Amino acid sequence: MYIGLFLGLAVFAAFGVLPTAANILISFTDYTSLPGTGTSFTGWSNYVAMATTQLPGFMDSLKATVIFVVGVTVIQNAIGLMLAHRMQGDSRSAAVLRVLCFVPIVLGVTVVGLIWLLLFDPAGGPATSVFGFFGVQSAFFGSDSLAMPLVITVQVWQNLGFTTVLFIGGLKAIPASIYEAAALDGVNAWKRFHKITWPLMAPSVTVNILFAVIGSVTTYNLIYVLTDGQYGTNTLGMLAFNSAFGATADLGYGAAVTTVLFVITVILALPVAALLRGRERRILG
Amino acid sequence: MSMTTRTAHRVSRISTGVLITLLFGIPLAYVLMISFQTPTQFIRDPMSLSQGPTVSNYSAAWTQGDLGQQLMNTVIYSVAAAAISTVLSLLIAYPVARRLVRWHRWIYISFVIGMCLPIPVIPLFVQAQRMHLFDNRIGYIVLHLEMGLPLGVLLLTAFVAGIPEELDHAALLDGSSYLGFLARIVLPLAWPSIVIVFLYSLLGVWNDIIGPIVFLASADLFPVTRGVYQFYGSNTSAWTTMSAAIVIVSLPVMTLFIVSQRQLLRSTLGAST
Repeated sequence: MYIGLFLGLAVFAAFGVLPTAANILISFTDYTSLPGTGTSFTGWSNYVAMATTQLPGFMDSLKATVIFVVGVTVIQNAIGLMLAHRMQGDSRSAAVLRVLCFVPIVLGVTVVGLIWLLLFDPAGGPATSVFGFFGVQSAFFGSDSLAMPLVITVQVWQNLGFTTVLFIGGLKAIPASIYEAAALDGVNAWKRFHKITWPLMAPSVTVNILFAVIGSVTTYNLIYVLTDGQYGTNTLGMLAFNSAFGATADLGYGAAVTTVLFVITVILALPVAALLRGRERRILG
Repeated sequence: MSMTTRTAHRVSRISTGVLITLLFGIPLAYVLMISFQTPTQFIRDPMSLSQGPTVSNYSAAWTQGDLGQQLMNTVIYSVAAAAISTVLSLLIAYPVARRLVRWHRWIYISFVIGMCLPIPVIPLFVQAQRMHLFDNRIGYIVLHLEMGLPLGVLLLTAFVAGIPEELDHAALLDGSSYLGFLARIVLPLAWPSIVIVFLYSLLGVWNDIIGPIVFLASADLFPVTRGVYQFYGSNTSAWTTMSAAIVIVSLPVMTLFIVSQRQLLRSTLGAST
């Protein structure tokens, strides 16, 4: 038993805990993967570079991250809630729709990203035809004004199924008898939603919002496929990745940006941790 | 319920159905259609199949893209990493759920934290090079083991905690070994949760695009995600071949999803309650 537990925890320590600690260490160095260069500790210089914009882009990235996180969280949850309300039934068609909106999660970011690049190909995709019909031209994912809204749209499209299914779970947890009693009393639809559904599905709302926030703060794989962080979509995760693995090969600076991202995530994740600890108390006693 | 509210309900239900079908069905159906278009058709009239369907894009994608090798790599990476990761999750979850170790609470909390924090890819890249895990199959699998652990440990701990403890004592009286007990008693009982943990880990490795870019350099080791992305980079306007490639790489994982969707969706439904 101890050997099994030890094996599992060793993997967690080596590839979960160690990288997290190493990331902080690397952030205080000028580590680069360019050949023939040594590494030395440079103190807070990477963090100073961020704050003083010696290296361009940190403030822009911070702004892009805020827009991305707020946009994704609000839109994903609003649409998810609307869809869940109407897709919770036991009918066959509701089941088919639930499966359909889960498909992007299964297809993954690469395929989803490529599908949307095809749909919005400025050289002759369907969006170009449709917009051209109205006399509008755009570079879409290559446009400073449209790239971020489109990236948010695709991110929402990618994860909407998960949000919707979580909301359906929350709705299903509400006993049908409450609605029956309300119907007998002649309570109207808005009041039923406002006074019964909304308060009783609160746990699933909390989970969904926190998951959307934490998920979108750090994610950059879809952005990597769609724009590689260009045209105002260079979120902090994307900036860290491109600093380290782009032309500059500046792993130290990338690690420093990642550390800042950690701090932001921890602050945002504390409510989730509290929530899951409550769950843990129910499970482990 | 009155006639009018019933009609209103039906209208709203049908309109939601149409909306979702448009929102999710159209983009997927469109890619499917493009994959059967001739390249000239796509340039002149990308919205129809008036020149008749062709399968030449599929053979072109298959030969140009090295998709066979890449699909094989993806299957090896994701099945191996997900299987090992699921077993490790159970090996951690069982003693934690039964409180057989002193630090069970801290172990659990560390996986809750692990669930929220992303795995930083920069130190992992450095580790990969120092530990000889860079650009080889075994290394790629090892580097992906940790990704499925937090979700796996949390789900399986919850599940094991729900199994009555009397079963443990009965099995121990029988003189079963620990692993024998896990395999013969816990595994069959926890099977639905095990499948979910396995499927979510599998999807995570299967769809990873950053991993293949950071941890691999040799083209013959690339999984389909990097393969198809690279294919896009070098044939930016060859959308008909591209679409065929997209369909080919999506088929295996879509088949798996259709077979397992009932379980996958049911478990996700239960997660929020």
